[in-house]
Amino acid sequence: MLKLTRRTFLKASAGTTAAAVAAPSMLRAMEADLGGRDIDPVSLIERKSIPTNCHVCNIQDGALAFVENGRVVKLEGNPEHVSTRGRLCAKGNAGMWYSYDPDRILYPLKRVGKRGEGKWKRISWDEAYNEIAARLDDVLTNGHPNEIMLKWGRNRTGGVLERFMHTLGSATILNHTSVCESSKKIGMEPTWGPDIEMPDFANTKYVLNFGSNVLEAAYFHNPFSQRVTEGRVDSNMKIVTFDVRLSNTAGFSDEWIPVYPGTDGAVALALGHVILRENLQDSDFIENWTNVSVQELKDHYKQFTPEWAAKLSGVPVETIERIAREFATTKPATTYTYRGPAKHMYGSYNEKACMMLPIMTGNIEKRGGYCLPRGMGYDQPQPQPPKPATPSYLAHPDEYPLAGHKVSHLVPFWITEGKQKIKVYFSYQDNPVYTNPGADAVWGELFRNEELIPFYVCLSPFMGEEAQLADIILPDVPYLERWEPESMPSSLWPWLAIRQPVIKPLGEGKETRVYLQELIHKLDPDGSRGMKKFWGFKSAEDYLRKQFENIPGLKEAGGLDFLKKHGVWPIYGKLNPRTGKISDKSGREIAAEYGLYRKELSAADMAGAMVDGKGAIHKNGKVIGVQRKGRNYVGFPTHDRLINVRVDQWAEYGFNPMPTFKRMPWHENMKDDEMILTTFKLNVHKQSRTAAVKWLAEISHANPAWLGTETAAKLGIKTGDLIRIESGVGHIVTKALVTEGIHPKVIAVSTAHGHWGYGRLAQLKLKEAAGQYGAADDPDLKNVWWDDKGVHPNHIIPAVADPIGGSQGWYDTVVKVSKAQPGDKYGDMVADWNKHVQWYKEGMRYTYVGDMHRKMHPEMASWAGPDSVKHKATGGH
Amino acid sequence: MSDLFTIPLEIVRQEAVAPAACTAEEYAARAHYYRLLAGAFIEEPGRDYLAALRTPESLEALAELGVTFDNDFIDPTPDELQETLACEYTVLFASSGGFPPVESVRLKGGFQQDPCFAAREFYAKEGFSVGAGRFQVFDDQLGVELQFIAALMDRIVIAMQRGDNQEQRRLEKSVKRFWAQHLGRWVRGYAALVERAASHSFYRETAMLLDAFAAFELELLGLDVTDEDQGRMELPPLAGADEPMRCGA
Ligand code: SF4
Repeated sequence: MLKLTRRTFLKASAGTTAAAVAAPSMLRAMEADLGGRDIDPVSLIERKSIPTNCHVCNIQDGALAFVENGRVVKLEGNPEHVSTRGRLCAKGNAGMWYSYDPDRILYPLKRVGKRGEGKWKRISWDEAYNEIAARLDDVLTNGHPNEIMLKWGRNRTGGVLERFMHTLGSATILNHTSVCESSKKIGMEPTWGPDIEMPDFANTKYVLNFGSNVLEAAYFHNPFSQRVTEGRVDSNMKIVTFDVRLSNTAGFSDEWIPVYPGTDGAVALALGHVILRENLQDSDFIENWTNVSVQELKDHYKQFTPEWAAKLSGVPVETIERIAREFATTKPATTYTYRGPAKHMYGSYNEKACMMLPIMTGNIEKRGGYCLPRGMGYDQPQPQPPKPATPSYLAHPDEYPLAGHKVSHLVPFWITEGKQKIKVYFSYQDNPVYTNPGADAVWGELFRNEELIPFYVCLSPFMGEEAQLADIILPDVPYLERWEPESMPSSLWPWLAIRQPVIKPLGEGKETRVYLQELIHKLDPDGSRGMKKFWGFKSAEDYLRKQFENIPGLKEAGGLDFLKKHGVWPIYGKLNPRTGKISDKSGREIAAEYGLYRKELSAADMAGAMVDGKGAIHKNGKVIGVQRKGRNYVGFPTHDRLINVRVDQWAEYGFNPMPTFKRMPWHENMKDDEMILTTFKLNVHKQSRTAAVKWLAEISHANPAWLGTETAAKLGIKTGDLIRIESGVGHIVTKALVTEGIHPKVIAVSTAHGHWGYGRLAQLKLKEAAGQYGAADDPDLKNVWWDDKGVHPNHIIPAVADPIGGSQGWYDTVVKVSKAQPGDKYGDMVADWNKHVQWYKEGMRYTYVGDMHRKMHPEMASWAGPDSVKHKATGGH
Repeated sequence: MSDLFTIPLEIVRQEAVAPAACTAEEYAARAHYYRLLAGAFIEEPGRDYLAALRTPESLEALAELGVTFDNDFIDPTPDELQETLACEYTVLFASSGGFPPVESVRLKGGFQQDPCFAAREFYAKEGFSVGAGRFQVFDDQLGVELQFIAALMDRIVIAMQRGDNQEQRRLEKSVKRFWAQHLGRWVRGYAALVERAASHSFYRETAMLLDAFAAFELELLGLDVTDEDQGRMELPPLAGADEPMRCGA
């Protein structure tokens, strides 16, 4: 009989290892699955998986929601999504807590006390519609439609808000882009067409990263983080980061080069100087695909010496020289930028200076290079309301003719100055009282003034610093409860997707497209006003179906039904569990297409076309391509199909059409005890709506001010000390974090914290009220162990705008930092409207009609002045 | 839900039923208490409900139980009172920063968590589903849970009248189980919280009645359930929570 002893057992086991390994295994560890399925660990029942689109932040990753017994219990990346590839970031994983937030607004609320007093009455939807319709009717009957304003923060409705405003005939549509990235867009659009680049991180050998913290935030954080990591691992790529702060991305880089705030553009120009001086440029590309010659470029760049840039930026001459050579001689290479260069008074110039590097080295549209974004569009259901006839000053202010993405953060000053009257104000997922420069001291001041804003309707599922000042709140729904079309150029493969409800709206929450239709029907019940015909949708799903029913390819695949099943289209391949990449049927990674500008025009395209002496192909009064060496290429999506190194439109307004750099005068003569205040985002937070999200709040809930070791020593400040940060408009009192990881002339405070009107977890009301909110079984809420909610810096940041791109100069604020003064308390936020007004006026002096414009542009002495140009509508969206 | 607004208030005058086997009358009386309390919490109190409560007989009957409203409940016109209570209801129970009378929120920290689905399942087993009143409510909303017990007690009365002992016992067990799994776990602590946080005497007093009634019912049912709601903890009054933050100026 077989008898096992411990010794024989072990011996036999050692001898049979190979056989054991070779034996076929039928058992799979479920947690080793790459995604797509999820099992309840207790009941072992497979959870229902519904594809949708993440919308915690604006990257719009493909997601799967796992639903068990009607409850969303888990979120993960959609493995069929070509950009996301089955992964979500920490924020995306926590997204379901929006739906279940105990502070969520589930019914229409009407203010019953003074604005901001916190007294509300729950009303029915019908009562809400009646109130709002009466106000709208009054404006439409007795005033002008432009007196109805709508400002959104995050609009992924796919055209619903525009349809609503156009139905009313109002052009007063504002966005949030000027506090986001507008000068990046305006730096790029006139140059090469699109408003963003697509660096091929996964295949590049060298990255120059200017002021982007892509591993934590920025476009397109999650897909790009994956590719940056692949580039390091698979391509042995080098990454050099210019940033005032040692962000996680800077820490991941081969080199972190701290620059003086706002001088990235100067460094980029000096890098270009070295490249051109040493003849390292791609002359062929410049001559064929840009609107300048190599010689013109060389002549222009002569002025931007490394010595000049070193003086401005603090980056040593030898570093500039070395990096320039490395970048130009390593192929392929790319740059990437985000807010660092762009969020300054002349951010558009900075952005342009940075993008010149891949242009002059010919790294455009190459594998591993700096590529055009790939996107896909969807339709707007017909009929559509016509665009409003009368332009709105607030939407297109005369002083900012080039700011195609608007200058929304200056709106409170313009309304106060009477530039445009507003009678009904709608906000949609927009909390400028928190997110904008000046914060409560500017936007709070505006909303509290019932003469300036007689009626304020807030469209939001959450109370916030803005919503608490509204007259009516309509309970919109969080992203897991709504239908929306999606597309983002977040990888080298374009895609279309949907956000679909994975649970029904809670309480009486309604989707935007549903309640706006009901409101229009209330306003125009019999269609006699000509509004109702634009709003004939049977349901939110029906609206979306119309947006997707005629997309070639998708239509054949099943249209919306395909998207409901898969969440995204096309499906380029399968997620390979070994590589984590998308593979085709043969198991190889799918290949991207490069060289989009070199696509050849068809014979049909060329029929009736005419080629001029410079090779521009004209047809029907437009340039449709470029002829080079006898071949007809589509070129770049600009007016002449070339990269416009020289942007003539800028020159019309007295701005330098060529790459340049301008330093703000108030940075020129800073005193020894003055520094520059910058802000940043952390990897688990977005701007204003994550501080109350369980899991994320626990990971990060406070925001001490980063201060350099040497600077802190001079000021006698240690980590944890209370400090006062004082700008020209006010001061805050916060705690110091002393670190080597920051430029000595910079103090940096992260945003997302220090709320006073949003979420019990963000405000730590949970703690203050000693458990009054219950949640006895909820381990997350029961164990709130922290008692610091942070301090918000935006109150003391003046609202100033890039005179070209309209961007807020987030990183231009000069401050004094000192130990807290007697009477200062942690969390003090003191700011003054009148001082903000002074700063706003100072900023306006730099617009093309302002007195500082010429002083800042001596090189444009021949410009005939503001009267020589009329305000023309520009691009942007 | 409309039965909430037509409560025969003479019931309120009856003495609390004895903690022994109940008669059909006693069950009917208890069901009415449940409905009376549900009426205060399920949504903003309606005009008829308030009018019935403010009759001299019902005020007297409630006073005998120790429920005494202040002048803020007695003096206003019906319209004024209804409006004031609608606003108070919203701030306490239906807007951000308040404390919704919803079991999922009280015990799990968020809307529509396990208790909501468990309650729905419980109702379904007894052949009920939750509809909407003036507003949509969650299945584990306090008013709904109270109404559910009231409905079970109505059926017990019918079973008793029919002499259907088996059904009566089954329903009694259901009542007990629902208290053990739901109401008993949170309602007393929650009532104590409302009692302290309410600024209007209507909510203060009805919450007090709810607290006492819950204790009474648990004793009658012979249940020893720990109240897991943390509302019993000492906490500062809500004053100040509605003051707007002013920055500068
Ligand atoms: S980056 Fe994160 S939060 Fe943003 S869409 Fe992607 S997964 Fe969601």
